[in-house]
Amino acid sequence: MPTIRLENLVKRYGAVEVLHGIELDMAEHEFTVLVGPSGCGKSTTLRMLAGLETVSDGEIYMDDRPISGLDPKDRDIAMVFQDYALYPHMNVARNMSFSLRLQKTPQATIDKKVGEVAEMLGLSPFLGRKPGELSGGQRQRVAMGRALCRDASTFLFDEPLSNLDAKLRGQMRAELALMRQNVKKNMIYVTHDQIEAMTLADRIVVMHGGHIQQQGTPSELFKNPVNRFVAGFLGSPPMNFLEADLVEENGALHAKGDGFSIRLPNDLATRARNKAVHKATLGLRPSDLEYTPDAPVDQSLDLNVVVSEYIGAQSVLICGCGDAKVTVELKSETPIALGETLRFAVRPEGLHLFDTKTEVAL
Amino acid sequence: MADTNYERQNPAFYALIALLVFMSIGPVLLLLINSLKLDVDITSGAGGLLFMPTIRNYETALCDILWYEPEHLRFCTIRFGGAFVNSLIIALISTALTLIFGCMAAYALVRFKFMGRDSLSLSTLAVRMIPPAVLLVPVFGLWNNSFCLDNDYGVGAWIRDTFGGRGDVCLAGTHSGIILVYVAMNLPFVIWILQSFIVQVPKSLEEAARVDGAGPFQVFFLVVLPLIKPGLAAASIFTFRIAWNEYLLASALADRDTMTVPILIVNNASEFDGLGTILATGMLLAIPPILFTLFASRQIITGMTAGAVKG
Ligand SMILES: Nc1ncnc2c1ncn2[C@@H]1O[C@H](COP(=O)(O)OP(=O)(O)OP(=O)(O)O)[C@@H](O)[C@H]1O
Ligand SMILES: [Mg+2]
Repeated sequence: MPTIRLENLVKRYGAVEVLHGIELDMAEHEFTVLVGPSGCGKSTTLRMLAGLETVSDGEIYMDDRPISGLDPKDRDIAMVFQDYALYPHMNVARNMSFSLRLQKTPQATIDKKVGEVAEMLGLSPFLGRKPGELSGGQRQRVAMGRALCRDASTFLFDEPLSNLDAKLRGQMRAELALMRQNVKKNMIYVTHDQIEAMTLADRIVVMHGGHIQQQGTPSELFKNPVNRFVAGFLGSPPMNFLEADLVEENGALHAKGDGFSIRLPNDLATRARNKAVHKATLGLRPSDLEYTPDAPVDQSLDLNVVVSEYIGAQSVLICGCGDAKVTVELKSETPIALGETLRFAVRPEGLHLFDTKTEVAL
Repeated sequence: MADTNYERQNPAFYALIALLVFMSIGPVLLLLINSLKLDVDITSGAGGLLFMPTIRNYETALCDILWYEPEHLRFCTIRFGGAFVNSLIIALISTALTLIFGCMAAYALVRFKFMGRDSLSLSTLAVRMIPPAVLLVPVFGLWNNSFCLDNDYGVGAWIRDTFGGRGDVCLAGTHSGIILVYVAMNLPFVIWILQSFIVQVPKSLEEAARVDGAGPFQVFFLVVLPLIKPGLAAASIFTFRIAWNEYLLASALADRDTMTVPILIVNNASEFDGLGTILATGMLLAIPPILFTLFASRQIITGMTAGAVKG
């Protein structure tokens, strides 16, 4: 399977530039997940890889061979389209076997392959139906099946599970994870779903406004986001952000804000001092706050519980901290009463600090 | 999809429907019944539905292509059969050619970006506004004189040998001459209709096909063409009917051997002996367009692209 490299990839529509120099290196067999808000250029990137959009600037390499001039059919790429794009005049089986039939594959091979993939996607009962006679989720699975029937070197998935219910999505995610281990292929996957991104990816690429914000393994990105955008984008419920002034008190750097003053760990303090930052944004994941009534003041937040959302084993509390809102995740059995002000300890390694002006992590 | 459980309607509604059915089927039925009668029965007016059906009128009409000689005829005056075959050949071939060229041209106009695309698209329609009568004189001139290909040249001889004609290899008097004019005449409108159908084919279908490994022609024939079948059917009804009924240009370009039915009827109106034969020819004339329309209209189904793309 080829390695794929995007070099300074730029896409312009007329005068509008929507991708500003994407640099991306994908190792062999890597499962790369592209995430980012709507309109950030994920589909555009995939479509350029597939050869459906021209490359305005830069180059795409497969095994160091530039491919931006090649036709889609010569790129050995299979793609699942965001809007399915099923052939409405063909039934499910023929949709899935379209590419194989173009290649004049023997009928027996086609039947076997289609049968396998249909089985895996739970589509066996629908093989004789036309796309117009399927539900949205079933159509999406057909779109997926059409790509999986192929023996391409690279698979592009544009939000392939977005229309499925939670259970089915879980199943398909598991199938994909399994497939990822068994089938050694390059996969590039666009999703809005945190769990999909985290569980499937070898590498997550966070995009925003046509730029790559950060790329790395899921845990790298989760633990060390390079800026406020990445920090806020990954993780659910999202990270809390609190505006703070950095002030020296008793020989230690404190992040002081509306109703809290937290002593910064040494390494963080050193970095903040070196960069001479005075205004910072404190980032705290809901899971990094722990209900600890006897925690020291300078390592905790006093939060006023406003809403409690019960979601099974975990509950999500929405609390007030001065004017800001802070979400906290904790075990449901913890005895909490609404309206109370409670003390939550901040896990020191869960403390993130961003320069308020540049939003870059310190 | 049509809902078959209609609400019960007012009886007056059914009466209206019956009236409409009678008005549209009635004349055809009258034509059919009377064409099966002897002249005496038609003119006497007596009997109505009580008569001995006979195919004698049809024998008279088709006497030139029958394999036997009808005993009631002394000799064959009208050559309706030959004209009928001419009409079929010309209408079918010109319809087929128009559709083939039309769908490809329409596809190019819709999907490819090239210089002058919009003005080209508009001018195809503008061509349609020229009345056929205006074309008559120049086409007649070209087909008969200027564009006659000399026998001595390869192409001329080849055309004569392949398509026939009057010997001087002029397009006038050949089937292809008339077909060519009909194709040119109908093409703009067909392109125009088909454009509106092709626009509705989601672009991502073509993209999916390209990613699946289809070349440009495979995309067109395997994905686009099946989806614009309703458009092709509508366009084919239109072109077939025009080619079948056209009189003006055919009368100028056809000769004895290639004349179409409308020309034959007008030219030989005086030679028809009796109402029965006229009715029989009328009936024969009506059958192909009816069959063709019935067949083609079954292809006109809506919702061809249902389920193709999200939303
Ligand atoms: N044909 C076009 N002309 C001009 N701008 C375009 C065109 N196609 C896309 N864009 C712009 O390019 C940007 C990226 O679009 P893209 O479809 O890649 O977003 P996306 O990340 O896939 O979003 P989503 O998650 O909603 O699918 C958008 O801002 C969009 O408006
Ligand atoms: Mg998209």
